[in-house]
Amino acid sequence: MTSAALQAPLRERATGSRRYRQILWLLTSRDLRVRYSTSALGYLWSILDPLVMAGIYWFVFTQVFQRDVGEEPYIVFLLSALLPWMWFNGAVSDSTRAFLREAKLVRSTKIPRTIWVNRLVLSKGIEFLFSIPVIAAFAIFGGATLTGWVALLPLALVLQAVLTAGVGLIVAPLVVFFRDLERAVKLTLRFLFYASPIIYSARDLPEGLHFWAAFNPLSGLFSLYRASFFEAELDWLLVGISAAVSVLLLAVGLAVFARTERAVLKEI
Amino acid sequence: MTSEVRTTAGTAAGVTGPVIEVRDAGIRFRRNRRGRRSFKDLFAGRRRRLRPDEFWALRNVSFTVQPGEAIGVVGRNGQGKSTLLKLVAEVVLADEGSVSVRAGVAPLIEITGGFVDDLSVRDNVYLTAGLHGMSRREVDERFGEIIEFAEIGAFLDTPYKHLSSGMKVRLAFSVISRLEEPILLVDEVLAVGDRGFREKCYARIQELLDGGRTLFFVSHSERDLRRFCTRGLYLDRGELVLDGPIDEVLARYAADTGH
Repeated sequence: MTSAALQAPLRERATGSRRYRQILWLLTSRDLRVRYSTSALGYLWSILDPLVMAGIYWFVFTQVFQRDVGEEPYIVFLLSALLPWMWFNGAVSDSTRAFLREAKLVRSTKIPRTIWVNRLVLSKGIEFLFSIPVIAAFAIFGGATLTGWVALLPLALVLQAVLTAGVGLIVAPLVVFFRDLERAVKLTLRFLFYASPIIYSARDLPEGLHFWAAFNPLSGLFSLYRASFFEAELDWLLVGISAAVSVLLLAVGLAVFARTERAVLKEI
Repeated sequence: MTSEVRTTAGTAAGVTGPVIEVRDAGIRFRRNRRGRRSFKDLFAGRRRRLRPDEFWALRNVSFTVQPGEAIGVVGRNGQGKSTLLKLVAEVVLADEGSVSVRAGVAPLIEITGGFVDDLSVRDNVYLTAGLHGMSRREVDERFGEIIEFAEIGAFLDTPYKHLSSGMKVRLAFSVISRLEEPILLVDEVLAVGDRGFREKCYARIQELLDGGRTLFFVSHSERDLRRFCTRGLYLDRGELVLDGPIDEVLARYAADTGH
């Protein structure tokens, strides 16, 4: 090591949003590398969970009960909401441990703290994208055809990223102070699974519930995803409400996060 | 919040005005970590009154640091030295006043904290350096130097958790001290590790100082403080009692502690 090398002007370090993206990607790729390289069945495990669940619901609702909800083929109908649900569910439940699991890293670096939540949204989102071939296989096998609305897929992805990040930013800092919230969040997610149009369609709800169901941002989101295969599922009113609620949640999430940040850093 | 303006040069010539400016900074902690909390506390804002179970770890601390200065922080245990370092590293945020740091910081505090047990030494180097803002290419360029300095070449693919604690500190010091940031923060991390390596670390710190870096140094060792620092900050009970030449500060500290 010569002192000449030390005195040479430093290269400009990435700043602002470029640095943010650089670090976000660094942490996300670490997550994915750990997930896919530590076990022989890496990729299979990440799709096995939704596959088993879809299999169970498919069996119960097509073989056991007389089903009068959803559309044909039911397995495609089911997966087109179940896979995005896995993204939401995975990111939100992981965000309960966003700070606690990485406490040492959070304490020793000054990177923008929202990265600790956003990298979860991103890595679960990428896992979701990796699971799309599964639904494609079932669509081909089951004889479902794509509609033109598949062009709305990018919109659905953005909407879901906004919604998931918003919820994560609210949950992550609050869990640091109220550990009970971790269990409350898991319970709420289980409730939300049945309260959202995943195994049924929003149109199957009793008349009186339509109004209330619209406020669930997942209703509009799943209607957008499902429009790729089932035109009748698209409901612009639901999508509009979902977009509004998602943006609102993100705003609330950013405010809660900014307000609690200094207390979080002291606590962990 | 602090400004994010970064300088392109680590040398004194690259920066005009103070690199660190701390004004009336204060931070409080809870005495009892398991104390009750309510939603109301959380959102009550930063200027609320002190609650009975809280104390000020630092208060009314003001000073500025010019580029290239070497500052030693002294004080008995628990008087706020490490907290001050963390404020300057921006890993905790002040409850009142402001702390602005106008150049990049290489923090040698809790240095082994950024490493992940299950990843290999190689992956950890890329991860930690990346979290501190180095691009992949920059790490590529310095990887050899980092490993050589840490004397850890035979363990590149060993999971971090299997290293001895001495190796961990060596690796961490090696990565952080290669960040080439204009400001270097050093806590008493170097107490670990053998004498030979400590001397190597000190040589490296001296090299960085000669290269125009700003140093912020916390230590109990009078010898080390005199060796590197020209100016001292004396903290007692969370307050900045004296800010002056290092010899004066050490004399006052010695007088107060009765040595």
